[in-house]
Amino acid sequence: MSIPSIATHKPMTSCKCSAYLDWCQMLSGAFLIMFMWAHLFLVSSVIIGPGVMNAIGHFFEATGMAQLGGPAIFAIFLTHFVLAARKIPFASKEQGLMLQNAKRMRHADTWLWVVQAVTAMIILIMGSIHMWVVLTDLPITAAKSAARIQGGWWMLFYLVLLPMVELHVGIGFYRIMIKWGVIDSKGRFGFKKKENLLTAIMIGIGVVTLLRFWFLATK
Amino acid sequence: MARMLKFNIFRYNPQDPASVPHMQSFSIDETESMTLFIVLNRLREEQDPSLQFDFCCRAGICGACAMVINGRPGLACHTKTKDLPEEITLMPLPIFKLVGDLSVDTGTWFRAMYKKIESWCHTKKVFDPNAIEERMDNDVAEAIYELDRCVECGCCVAACGTALMREDFLGATTLNRVARFILDPRDERTEKEYFDLIGTDEGIFGCMGLLACQDVCPKYLPLQDVLGKLRKKMAFAAVNNILPSFLKQDIKL
Amino acid sequence: MQIIQTDLLCIGAGLAGERVAIEAAENGFSVICLSLVPARRSHSSAAQGGMQAALGNSAMGEGDSPDVHFSDTVKGSDWGADQECSRIFADTAPIAMRQMAFWGVPWNRVVPGEATYYKGGKPFTAFEKPENEGLIHSRSFGGTAKWRTCYTSDGTGHAVLYTLDNRAAQMGVEVHDKTEAIALIHDGDTCMGAIVRCLKTGELRAYLSRATLIATGGYGRIYRESTNAVICDGGGMIIGLDTGVVPFGNPEAVQFHPTGIVPTDILVTEGCRGDGGTLLDVNQYRFMPDYEPEKAELASRDVVSRRMTEHIRKGLGVKGSYGDHLWLDIRHLGEKHISTKLREVQEICESFLGVDPVHQLIPVRPTQHYSMGGVRTNKDGAAYGLKGLFSAGEAACWDMHGFNRLGGNSLAETIVAGMWVGGKVVEFLAGTDTIFKTEAIRAAQQKQEERIKALISGSNGRENVYAVRNAMFDTIMKGAGIFRNGTDLAESVTKLTEILHRARKVGLRSNGLGANGELSLALKIEGMVKLAQCVCYGALQRTESRGAHTREDFPERNDRDWLNRTLATWANSTDDLPTLSYEPATKVFEIPPGERGYGGGKIIPMDNPPTATPKGAKA
Ligand SMILES: Cc1cc2nc3c(=O)[nH]c(=O)nc-3n(C[C@H](O)[C@H](O)[C@H](O)COP(=O)(O)OP(=O)(O)OC[C@H]3O[C@@H](n4cnc5c(N)ncnc54)[C@H](O)[C@@H]3O)c2cc1C
Ligand code: HEM
Ligand code: HEM
Ligand code: SF4
Ligand code: F3S
Ligand code: FES
Repeated sequence: MSIPSIATHKPMTSCKCSAYLDWCQMLSGAFLIMFMWAHLFLVSSVIIGPGVMNAIGHFFEATGMAQLGGPAIFAIFLTHFVLAARKIPFASKEQGLMLQNAKRMRHADTWLWVVQAVTAMIILIMGSIHMWVVLTDLPITAAKSAARIQGGWWMLFYLVLLPMVELHVGIGFYRIMIKWGVIDSKGRFGFKKKENLLTAIMIGIGVVTLLRFWFLATK
Repeated sequence: MARMLKFNIFRYNPQDPASVPHMQSFSIDETESMTLFIVLNRLREEQDPSLQFDFCCRAGICGACAMVINGRPGLACHTKTKDLPEEITLMPLPIFKLVGDLSVDTGTWFRAMYKKIESWCHTKKVFDPNAIEERMDNDVAEAIYELDRCVECGCCVAACGTALMREDFLGATTLNRVARFILDPRDERTEKEYFDLIGTDEGIFGCMGLLACQDVCPKYLPLQDVLGKLRKKMAFAAVNNILPSFLKQDIKL
Repeated sequence: MQIIQTDLLCIGAGLAGERVAIEAAENGFSVICLSLVPARRSHSSAAQGGMQAALGNSAMGEGDSPDVHFSDTVKGSDWGADQECSRIFADTAPIAMRQMAFWGVPWNRVVPGEATYYKGGKPFTAFEKPENEGLIHSRSFGGTAKWRTCYTSDGTGHAVLYTLDNRAAQMGVEVHDKTEAIALIHDGDTCMGAIVRCLKTGELRAYLSRATLIATGGYGRIYRESTNAVICDGGGMIIGLDTGVVPFGNPEAVQFHPTGIVPTDILVTEGCRGDGGTLLDVNQYRFMPDYEPEKAELASRDVVSRRMTEHIRKGLGVKGSYGDHLWLDIRHLGEKHISTKLREVQEICESFLGVDPVHQLIPVRPTQHYSMGGVRTNKDGAAYGLKGLFSAGEAACWDMHGFNRLGGNSLAETIVAGMWVGGKVVEFLAGTDTIFKTEAIRAAQQKQEERIKALISGSNGRENVYAVRNAMFDTIMKGAGIFRNGTDLAESVTKLTEILHRARKVGLRSNGLGANGELSLALKIEGMVKLAQCVCYGALQRTESRGAHTREDFPERNDRDWLNRTLATWANSTDDLPTLSYEPATKVFEIPPGERGYGGGKIIPMDNPPTATPKGAKA
């Protein structure tokens, strides 16, 4: 809190913008979490069998949800980025301060935030590419996905993106629960443990899915 | 076996033109029940009388002696050397203006805080010396006291990444203070007035939930819970008028 | 040099200073408070127990009234108190307490119904009346007929100080923290403010004020072992004494508490012993019953402290790197009792000693705790000797405590006296003009500048200030410790004279630039030694035992010769000894001298015992 900013005594204007923006940030984050869970669920259906995945894919296709939903998700993705980016320091001095603080304090939750900010930037780029590629090549079928992944580079791509996304989602979920007082201080460490476990399981399922795609016969 | 402790202490006296910021090391033999209060006073008496630091109550009550101890803000007077490794690094609290060496100026920061959030009970009533006191539920009194226990040591601010990056961020101690008044039935401020104080990105919406505040607070204030409830309260205060009635919420602290 | 003007200058921003400041600010005067530390770190924040006021809301406080409170206070003082002040105090305390409630103190409140309390370690039940629900509750404290100590959990001082500082901020009281008043500006007749050293930059400033208040708290830190904060080193008393005309009242009246922990001398509450804790020596032998077969550990504070010292002197103390100590044993009270009823004690032991009192012994020794004496004022809080100078709180000898203050009465004194004296300061400000004499200001400033120069250059000598302070510590504790005798006191007075000469030759080892701590101490070491000398010399002259002042060679309370108050001045700054004079303890006797009803001891009665003056009558 700076002295000058108090001394100027700028008249108190009642503005609810910050509150609205915070709501939107949380809701967009929460929506994306749900989407990512659903997404994982859909994609991993290939583990049971390519048929299942195709069926689900087809359902979304037929109802027009993929054509409409895809771009909508892309929009929310960008919105979330714009909102959350308000919190990310772009000046290197500030980045330095945050990083030094996390290092000096050896403080887990501060580190988590650093992880969240770093993964966010990676997701922004890789997620956009991924969505572009998938959405410009509808319909979604197990075969097409498998072909893509067996190309090799995509496998590598997903092996990077997957943990990034799951970490970001996991930490994001934990943070929403904390920031909005859903989990209190007594429940914090227990919740964090469960959340970590969930993230690990998610990554596990993701890897299995990718392996399934890798070994799926492309006809 | 008594250990020899090595202390790396930040040194800089802004009032001395010849002084430049640097780290200085000291060695001192450890004694039983030794605290950093004992160490620093012995260093000043026996080794370097120019060493600057702050102590007052030396009992963990007044908050004067906060400094960064091996990386984390904490109260020096109740830190035992027994719990520390052989090599100990002491730095002044960041964010607050440096007075010299380990001493910082927390007073100016906190007074600015009182002014900004008007840290007092706002009431239109006038005290009547002949009347008995207004009644209050003991549970309410205890809940207020729980938040009133803050000793203004500044640790929560110095540990908060948000506060480090953004100098206009109010910090956990300030938000906690506001919560204390929201709880207090004697303060007649309306929700809207409180919203105007802290319903901003400098206030509760600036907090990113890093929880370093909660983890370093030497008085174990429930900062996580206070911040969570405040966010909910302020967030609903902003949207209650546009929400359908079944979604409206009046959050109690 | 920067010059700052204000109507009222409060030297000290603890409870007493701020309460006076608020009164003046509410009446439209400009006020500046000085403090060594941010206001809320003042030592008032360390008081845990509570403050006394006869509200009588609790079951165990039923039937309480200011009259009962008054009589407890006077008995507690061993009739050393000024009864007019004790009366003002007892009558005003309930109002002050309610006002603090109005301003925001979260006092604990009455919860109706059956409640379990403890006495002597044993539980009993009492019934809290439903009609008192939500009124201010009270707890038990030593030396009182009723439970009358208002409290907020175990952080009363903290809660009250925070509320008061909030109110001060609201009223626009300026607090200049990290500043130290090092001299008063005066012409021998009127006080015009103070010369102040900034503890952020080291600069000197002059504060010019129409009224000046000394509210600097106690001077416990002239003792090595004290429960007081490290800033309680008597700065206010020193600048008063330095004027040569402002007397220091009852310097010898110093209270010791039996259980300060070793090495940090932090207080652990009397409740430990109240609930059944015992004191052990080096052989883990319980020695108190040998000295006090009846009351053992539960004899009064001064008695227990005395016995502990005696035992240590016999060589039965526990040797440690911080000197000899004894053990406090509360292990037998059990984990449940300790972690609920003595939580604070457990926390202190764990944080500061790394000792778990459930399984381990607590190292303790008697420790200086409170100074009844201070800047002598009349009942309006106006200091003797200088116009425009006031004093309140522990720094003052307003004198409601006499030779022993009751627990809970000092915190209450700060806000009650603050309210009362504040009113008188307002009257003074409204009715008086002060002429600021430039030559007095310049002289005061030059004198301080020269002192600093001499200390830095070492032109008076190169004595090590810490060595001098250590010598003072050793000497005062030997002479004016828990119990005193003519031989040791005489020896201490002689030694302190030597130490005073050394203090005048102090020179710095560091460069003294900025907020240099060595310089801060060097600037007041001479004054501290003078305070120590006042304590020892006053104690040497007072050939009786009264309250906390206990002479082995004069065990009786002598109302015939000593029902009076010591007034010490340092007439000439180069003198080796203070000038002592005496005044009657009180002009009004609502309660003529008599038995306290505890503590025992013989009394030599007055030749012409006074008759009781009815309540409220003027002398
Ligand atoms: C451990 C402990 C527990 C206690 N518990 C109780 C209790 O339960 N109940 C009770 O009634 N009493 C208790 N007391 C006593 C009581 O707390 C004090 O007597 C009281 O708080 C003194 O208040 P004050 O305002 O006079 O001084 P303080 O609060 O000590 O304030 C002194 C002020 O003066 C300033 N100052 C000092 N020197 C200078 C200078 N040279 N220049 C500028 N400023 C200066 C300081 O910075 C400070 O702001 C306790 C005392 C101790 C030590
Ligand atoms: C699938 C993609 C994403 C998901 C599921 C997701 C999810 C979340 C969630 C749930 C939060 C917590 C929200 C809160 O605390 O209010 C969050 C926070 C954050 N997200 Fe994302 N996010 C995604 C993509 C991105 C992208 C592309 C960025 C780009 C910069 C980003 C940057 C951030 C940042 C910086 C935060 C922290 C905000 C804060 O702490 O206040 N996220 N994210
Ligand atoms: C509407 C938007 C989206 C659609 C339709 C979609 C669809 C798909 C499909 C079909 C796959 C299988 C692999 C492939 O075909 O290449 C896949 C995998 C993957 N997607 Fe998406 N996706 C979308 C958005 C996102 C977003 C926003 C992210 C994260 C930022 C993301 C992260 C991933 C990851 C990490 C994988 C690997 C899956 C795994 O290992 O389980 N996707 N997605
Ligand atoms: S909230 Fe805790 S850490 Fe922050 S200033 Fe208060 S006591 Fe210190
Ligand atoms: S560390 Fe800072 S970001 Fe919030 S949770 Fe605490 S104030
Ligand atoms: S000196 Fe008071 S908290 Fe450490």
